[in-house]
Amino acid sequence: MSFQYHEPVSLAEAVDLGARFGADGRFLAGGTDLIIQMRRGKVAPRHVLSLHRVPGLDAIELNGSVRLGALVTHRAIERCASFQGRLRGLVEGAEVVGGHQIRNVGTVGGNIINASPAADVVPVLLALDATITCVGADGERTLTLEEFLLEPGRTARRPGELLTAVRFAVPQGRTATAFLKAGRRRAMEISVVCVAARLTLDATGERCVEARIALGAVAPTTWRAREAERLLEGRPLTPEAMREAGRAAAAGCRPIGDVRASARYRRLLVETLVPRALARCRKRFE
Amino acid sequence: MSKVALELCINGERHEVLTEPHRTLLDVLRVDLGLTGTKENCLEAECGVCTVLLDGRAVNSCIVLAVQCRGRAVLTIEGVAEHGALHPIQQAFIDHGAVQCGYCIPGMILSAKAFLEERPGATEAEVREMLAGNLCRCTGYQKIADAVVAAGRAVAAGR
Ligand SMILES: Cc1cc2nc3c(=O)[nH]c(=O)nc-3n(C[C@H](O)[C@H](O)[C@H](O)COP(=O)(O)OP(=O)(O)OC[C@H]3O[C@@H](n4cnc5c(N)ncnc54)[C@H](O)[C@@H]3O)c2cc1C
Ligand code: FES
Ligand code: FES
Repeated sequence: MSFQYHEPVSLAEAVDLGARFGADGRFLAGGTDLIIQMRRGKVAPRHVLSLHRVPGLDAIELNGSVRLGALVTHRAIERCASFQGRLRGLVEGAEVVGGHQIRNVGTVGGNIINASPAADVVPVLLALDATITCVGADGERTLTLEEFLLEPGRTARRPGELLTAVRFAVPQGRTATAFLKAGRRRAMEISVVCVAARLTLDATGERCVEARIALGAVAPTTWRAREAERLLEGRPLTPEAMREAGRAAAAGCRPIGDVRASARYRRLLVETLVPRALARCRKRFE
Repeated sequence: MSKVALELCINGERHEVLTEPHRTLLDVLRVDLGLTGTKENCLEAECGVCTVLLDGRAVNSCIVLAVQCRGRAVLTIEGVAEHGALHPIQQAFIDHGAVQCGYCIPGMILSAKAFLEERPGATEAEVREMLAGNLCRCTGYQKIADAVVAAGRAVAAGR
């Protein structure tokens, strides 16, 4: 590792440095991915731009919508009291990332930019229809998280662009979220499969009016099981409907087999975990 | 690559170091400052033997750059005992026979310290969850978990 180190102290300076160095520079957030990749020689930026002194990037703001600054840590999400109700799934995603040392420094921005198909917070954000904001030499732009994630390790971020925030509407009414992760052990494990779900029921609590199911580690990017969502919308939330959604998600996903699990096992997990995550949402309405 | 002059605050003491920006906090602690209580193993944030507290929070010093620590407080195992008296967590590890080879112990103690300051009344299950980022190849964890639970009670009682 050999690079020049920079420590911008304002957003404008961070954006400026990002634009100046372009593909030669890397932003450093928690470093839980970047420092390891650099030590392995996988990336060798000539300039490292540490973000820890940029004020405001670690803020959680709630007013109608939720805005998570890119430097919000998994730890901060876990401990945000406002996320305990309808946003419980977000807490469940953050609290299973690595061990506490990783959650103390690892950020939501890093989780997104890594674009790992197995990321744990990304599926929850996808289930919340999140958008992201980037700022670069050409100014600010906002994209949906779904269009931002392109393939393993690659996003639509332009060289030098700074991810500043991720936003989503505060869920209203009879809405619940849930997140489940399957790994080979309970903690410090990369997801073999993970599932995030968001369900909204009508005023009577009878029928599902909106469903979101996002899955990790079953496709090149975090993946929305749209067919499964459609099966649920407009119908009562019966155990059979939830199992059907699980089967649809398992049929539609495109998992790979690797050291952690075979593709077939991943499909089996999807079929089981999707109804389980939906049932967890349903329980939260009670 | 040019060196940078850094002032680091470690265990309450100021240290001046001159180092390259790519060097980790772990490296500077062990090599430049001779503070070898912080251990080195995987260098990939997996094992936790390099755990120190940065502004009171447990971090893997193998993935923190020393330059990022300018103006922040670092606590290593050398600074845990105060005025020659062992910290209740250290005492609990001894009392419970929680140490075998000892390699993982500095990291265990610092993880436990940050954790118990927030949750002194933690249950064994919570303690085990917290220890996920600190691996031990010797003890089988039971005595470590017992020691941390007991230390939590001691810390709570001491308040
Ligand atoms: C032991 C271990 C266990 C892990 N376990 C999990 C797990 O269980 N689940 C999981 O999802 N992840 C896990 N991870 C991966 C990683 O910790 C997370 O993805 C984390 O959220 C990354 O955030 P960071 O702040 O550390 O990113 P960094 O390492 O600082 O950055 C990652 C990448 O994003 C870029 N970047 C960061 N912030 C910005 C920004 N604001 N704008 C533009 N670019 C930016 C960096 O340049 C770099 O390319 C684990 C990692 C380790 C080492
Ligand atoms: S040496 Fe840092 S976690 Fe293993
Ligand atoms: S006591 Fe030997 S590694 Fe833990």
